[in-house]
Amino acid sequence: MPTTLEQPLLTATPAVTSAEPAILFPDGLVGCPDWKRFVLLVDEDEDLPVAVLRSLDNPDIELLVTDPTLVDPHYAARAGVDANSAAVYCTLSIGDDGWITANLLGPIVVDRRTREAHQVVLSESGYTTRHPLARADGA
Amino acid sequence: MLVLSRKCDQSLLLGDDIVVTVLGIEGDRVKLGIKAPRSVAVLRQEVFEQIQAANTASATPTARPALKSVAAALRTRAQ
Repeated sequence: MPTTLEQPLLTATPAVTSAEPAILFPDGLVGCPDWKRFVLLVDEDEDLPVAVLRSLDNPDIELLVTDPTLVDPHYAARAGVDANSAAVYCTLSIGDDGWITANLLGPIVVDRRTREAHQVVLSESGYTTRHPLARADGA
Repeated sequence: MLVLSRKCDQSLLLGDDIVVTVLGIEGDRVKLGIKAPRSVAVLRQEVFEQIQAANTASATPTARPALKSVAAALRTRAQ
């Protein structure tokens, strides 16, 4: 297991800041209807393939997100999203087995202009909520 | 729980603007057609539960490595 596991995510990366206004989910996330107001935290020093969506209502809620084009360059189109008008993120989880997995079944779509967001479900896509990406320890 | 019987091609109304129609029955599978406004999410229950679980798992900061080490792992994969 990675030796850095016990480090809190953001205290380990003090350069992480928010460059953008709040993101509002009017309906919350799927199964989490109270998760409505977030801010996207990105590393200002480095262009990382991961970022953090932190709840403005409950600072304990931080969703690790990635750009799904890492997995599939045509992901936005498959999700029926115009990449010019909306940004698409997928949440990441790190399992007990050390695998980093992406939820490709339920991406987060953020309107670039209004910052309104929805978690959409790509029901017939064949994507899963636990698409394996890499091992957290790089093995 | 309300329990109703419906035959093929018969429908149910949920509120004013949701219509659920039985389109076919094959063995133990029922094919349903659902007409609902775009604002109404229609999900298989197990899919809802999977996504809810993924959201909760992603938001759990325990046992999570530093952002940069996750980034490094993803970059390794991309190469």
